[in-house]
Amino acid sequence: MACGSTFLWKGKCTWFCCGGGWGPCGATGTGACGTCQSSQFKGAWPNASQACFTITRPDLCGENMPRRGCGSVMNVKHQCTGATVCITIADCGPRTKSFCGATSCCNGQCRTNHVIDLTPAAFAQIGNLSSGHVPAWIYE
Amino acid sequence: MSAPMDRRRFLTGAALGGATIVGASALGALDAEAAYASTRSTLDPGVIESAFAEGRIGAIQGALLVVAGSWGETHKVQLTNATSVWKLRPTSAKEIEIGDGMYGRGVRMPDGTIAADAVWVNIVNLECTVAGIAADRLQLAHDKHAVLGRLIAGTTVASYNGGALTSDLSRLKIGQAVRVLGAWRPADDSVDVAQLTVAA
Repeated sequence: MACGSTFLWKGKCTWFCCGGGWGPCGATGTGACGTCQSSQFKGAWPNASQACFTITRPDLCGENMPRRGCGSVMNVKHQCTGATVCITIADCGPRTKSFCGATSCCNGQCRTNHVIDLTPAAFAQIGNLSSGHVPAWIYE
Repeated sequence: MSAPMDRRRFLTGAALGGATIVGASALGALDAEAAYASTRSTLDPGVIESAFAEGRIGAIQGALLVVAGSWGETHKVQLTNATSVWKLRPTSAKEIEIGDGMYGRGVRMPDGTIAADAVWVNIVNLECTVAGIAADRLQLAHDKHAVLGRLIAGTTVASYNGGALTSDLSRLKIGQAVRVLGAWRPADDSVDVAQLTVAA
C-alpha cells in the first residue's frame, strides 16, 4: 500500500527499538502487532487500539488522534527538512500521557507532545538518531 | 558558485576512492537531515532510498566495519572522512570497538557495502521510569527490565517539561517517566546517559 498525502496529525516524533537486537533492545518483543523490528520501517501509534489508548492516553495532553490499527500506513515528514519516510504501524506507543508538553523544535517552530514513535531504520530516514526526536507532520 | 555537491554522490565517490577524503567542505551543509531531505523524492513505501545497517560489530578492517545483524544478516559498513560518528557524543571512528552495537545509514554500493553517512554506536532511546537516584547513577525501569543509567559529569543533560536542556539533575524524582538517550556499555550492560527528557 502506498503512502498517502492527506494530513493526519502532527507532533513530536521519537524513536524506539523493537523485535530484539543488542543491549536493552534485546529484551524487546515484536510489539503489540507482533510485527515490529528495528531494522524495518515501522512505527508505533498511541491509538492503535482501545487497549493501547488506555495505556497511552494522548487525550490527557489534548491529543485526540484517530484510531489507526496494526498495518496502517503513514507518511512521516520532518517539519523543517521535508524528509519523509513511509512506515507501517506495528506497535502501541509512545506513552504520550507521561510527557505532556514535551516539545521538538526546528527553525523556531515547535511541535508539542509525543505522538508517534519510529523504529531506528525509519527514524534515520528523516533525522539523526542522536537527536532523539524531530518535529513531524504525519500523512496517510 | 556551483550548487553544493550531492552528499550521496560524495559518499559513493569517497567509498570507491578508498575513503581517502580530505575535508568535506565541498558538501556545503554537512547536516545529514538537510542532505537527506534534498534527495528523497518518493512516497512509495516499497522504495528504500537510504541503506540502513543494524547489529553488533564483529570486526574492524581499517575503515570497514563488519556488522552481524540481529536477524542473521551481515553488513559491511565503510567509513569515510565524511561519516559522522556518535558514541555518547559526536566522536571519531577511533572510538568504535569490536562488540559495540551500531546503527548506520548510508548509500548501498554496487558490491553491497554501505558507504556510511552516519554511524550511531551503542545508541539507545528508552522510555523508562525512575526507580532510584544516586549521585552518579539512576536505577531505571524499562518495560519489565531494570537498567542502570550512569550520569556522566559534563555530558548528561535533562529537559524538564519541554524546557531547555540543563545539567541540573536535581529535579529528578523517583517514579517519574523519563526518556533516556544514551550509549549502552557492552561490558556491564549499563547505559551512559546523554540526555533525559523528563515528564511534567
